[in-house]
Amino acid sequence: MNILETRSLSHDFGGLQVLKDVNLQVLAGERHAIIGPNGAGKTTLFNTITGTYTPSQGSVYFKGRNITGAGPCKIQRLGMGRSFQITSTFDRLTAFQNIRLAVLSQKGIRFNLLRFVDKMDTVTRDTEEILKRINLFEDRLTLAGNLSYGKHRSLEISMSLATNPDLVMLDEPTAGMSVDETHYAVELIRRLTEGKTVVIIEHDMDVVFSLADRITVLHHGTILATGTPDQIQQNEQVQSAYLGEMED
Amino acid sequence: MNNKSRWALWIAGAVALFLYPRLFGIYYANIFVTFAIYALYAVSLNLLLGYTGLLSFGHAMYFGTGAYGTALALTHIKGLPLVPALLAGFFAAFFLAICVAPLVVRVGGNAFAMMHLAFGQLMFVLALKLRHITGGEDGVGGFPIPPLSIPGLFSLDMGDPILFYYFAVAVIAASLWLLWFFTKTPFGQIMVAVRDNTKRVDYLGFRVPHTKAVVYVIAGAFAGMAGAVYALFQNLVAAYDAYGILTSFVPVMMTMVGGIGQFFGPICGAGIFGVLDELTTRYTDRVELVLGLVLVLVIMYAPYGFTGFLTYLRMRWSASRAQRSPA
Amino acid sequence: MDASVAMYVAQGIHGLAYGMVLFLVASGLTLIFGMMGVLNLAHASFFMLSAYFGYQMVAWTGSFWAALLVAPVITAVFGILLERFLLKKVHAFGHMGELILTVGVSLIVLDGVKAVWGTESLPLKMPPVLEGLVQIAGMQYPIYRLFIIAMALVLLGILSLVLFKTRLGMVVRAAVSDAEMVNALGINVPLVFMFVFGVGTWMAGVAGVAIAPILTVFPGLADQMGMDAFIVVVVGGFGSLGGAFLVSIIGGLISSYGVQFLSQYAAVLMFVFMAVALAIKPKGLFGERD
Repeated sequence: MNILETRSLSHDFGGLQVLKDVNLQVLAGERHAIIGPNGAGKTTLFNTITGTYTPSQGSVYFKGRNITGAGPCKIQRLGMGRSFQITSTFDRLTAFQNIRLAVLSQKGIRFNLLRFVDKMDTVTRDTEEILKRINLFEDRLTLAGNLSYGKHRSLEISMSLATNPDLVMLDEPTAGMSVDETHYAVELIRRLTEGKTVVIIEHDMDVVFSLADRITVLHHGTILATGTPDQIQQNEQVQSAYLGEMED
Repeated sequence: MNNKSRWALWIAGAVALFLYPRLFGIYYANIFVTFAIYALYAVSLNLLLGYTGLLSFGHAMYFGTGAYGTALALTHIKGLPLVPALLAGFFAAFFLAICVAPLVVRVGGNAFAMMHLAFGQLMFVLALKLRHITGGEDGVGGFPIPPLSIPGLFSLDMGDPILFYYFAVAVIAASLWLLWFFTKTPFGQIMVAVRDNTKRVDYLGFRVPHTKAVVYVIAGAFAGMAGAVYALFQNLVAAYDAYGILTSFVPVMMTMVGGIGQFFGPICGAGIFGVLDELTTRYTDRVELVLGLVLVLVIMYAPYGFTGFLTYLRMRWSASRAQRSPA
Repeated sequence: MDASVAMYVAQGIHGLAYGMVLFLVASGLTLIFGMMGVLNLAHASFFMLSAYFGYQMVAWTGSFWAALLVAPVITAVFGILLERFLLKKVHAFGHMGELILTVGVSLIVLDGVKAVWGTESLPLKMPPVLEGLVQIAGMQYPIYRLFIIAMALVLLGILSLVLFKTRLGMVVRAAVSDAEMVNALGINVPLVFMFVFGVGTWMAGVAGVAIAPILTVFPGLADQMGMDAFIVVVVGGFGSLGGAFLVSIIGGLISSYGVQFLSQYAAVLMFVFMAVALAIKPKGLFGERD
């Protein structure tokens, strides 16, 4: 069953066509990687799916519901989480407070003006549990903006997962990480996304082939191929177009 | 600090507040009431400015509306008791904020600041022009100040400055406590998150405009509360004092001088301004010039204000202590 | 010619003249904002300061023309000093710092002129050549207002020539639409900033001297013009010169006809106009940023 589906999705910026007729299908429970050279439209695809932009044409279906044109907030509440390529956390709040915000969202606590948040024990417990799972418990009182790069990235990814979404969209989670950090991040993602559907944009082919169940190759705003890692590796079209360009 | 010493501190503070007018007399009691009114007003602004990242140059529209609300209620309703009169001001500002909020929550930054500058001036012009209601430049004054009473139990004459001091300080302390409490609730966390990273708040599933609107209405209503106490204190509300542009600038300055984003920052700022005001008016009538200079100097050399400076000192102190005695 | 038509036309000329002056002030404001992202709340104070300088020049030399030439230049120097020595320092603290700094400067200027020139309304006489009325096609027009309109149009012409025909203008326009691009072009950005700030303040200065004979010179001048100019910039769309021009003209006409028909509430009309415009287009009529 498709948890996420785009139908003839197209988007342009002032006449510049970035996405053309994209029909993406993501199966429930799979880890789906989206690869493609720079400028292929990967992040734009994410932005049109998660509600940053309304696509110029086409539609997006999530759990069978048409969510085209809905805002990020509404889409999130339907069960789709998202992380960003450029780390986007609450930098003047502590790591604990960052995760706690996600936990509050997950519990639907939004306009509560009647209780001390510090005294909400289940919220605190859940937050601390997540912090322990991502090895940030020691750093829980550090401001997010002062975390080391790798930890900051972990926080970024974990915030989108802490809302407990059914589908999580990860935009280059390992961007800018060292080899060790990347290795750790991949393990983290694998561990935290157990039983969830993941769509991931990734440049690092080792990560893609070790993590993904299926891969979609995006090229000049269109889908070149979709398939298992083996199928993609053997696809001649992909090799000539994509891999050829990578060597440029 | 443990719980016991914290309680001791609070009790000491309360005792000091109780003894203060008896020790220093009416003149200084009145100065303290003025300070307390501005402290509440500035804290309400800081909820927008420091906590949510929304700069308003027109917060006087709520202060003034609160003041006029209470003044007009007492002028026109015979025998209105004290607490309902206070609430009249509070709710006047509250309803104004509810009406304005949908217009302003979608914008941020400069546009938000400018719209408030304009709305603030609009209220000022209206107060000047609608003379038959507001009394124009002369304002509404001489309305009866009802006693604080529970029929058959007690009745405290609010014309007595010392008794009024206790009433005003109690109302303002309660309001400040409520506002402090709001910043500690889950909603308070979301409010700070909006300041830090509006986009991410949206992606976490919180509705940004609604969040801003709630903060906005709370900030407006409590500015109105400050205005209501002001009306009772002065027994006169005139257009310039209620809605004038300086009335909008003053809490911004207090917040900046005291320390932005810290709950006690604006309160320190109001204190510093109170002292500054006493000193400048004693020697010169160029109050605006002094205010302008203070503002320029603060933003250039101490952008996090007085409390920011204290934090800096404390960090220096603990750093040097750590150096001297390596653990 | 019908008397009522004559009245409409006369009010229209008043409105146009005021709209033009408004545009001179607002265009500087919007250029500076577009280029540097600085909303200069002291902009209208410079407008007022220039009017006072103009008054002083006339008092010393007796010549309106000398005032019109010199006062705006001195004002522009003050503007450049503000940009160089104060604004640059607080840039790191973001918009909030800039807004608050310029509020501080406007308070200092306001109290400064009160200290030097007092709070009285000071008259600034227009040159005899521009006094009186001129007869065109059976209608009478006040010469001085026509002069203001003509002067503003000439300045507008020069401004558009510079903006659209020179390399400097291209840089400025590029910076207004995309500030990051200019850094990439390898241009001496601080110098361009200084130039834009100077020109913007200068135009406000010209407007200040030009309107002084009509409104006289008094400390409330900055409030009145400042508020209208900010409304123009907000409604026209931040950083949009075309928007500023259109809204200035509309604003001028609104206040002029407003005084005639709704004198009691004329002062409120501009705010109502703004509220309606923003309710329809929250980013301003021609704005793409906020």
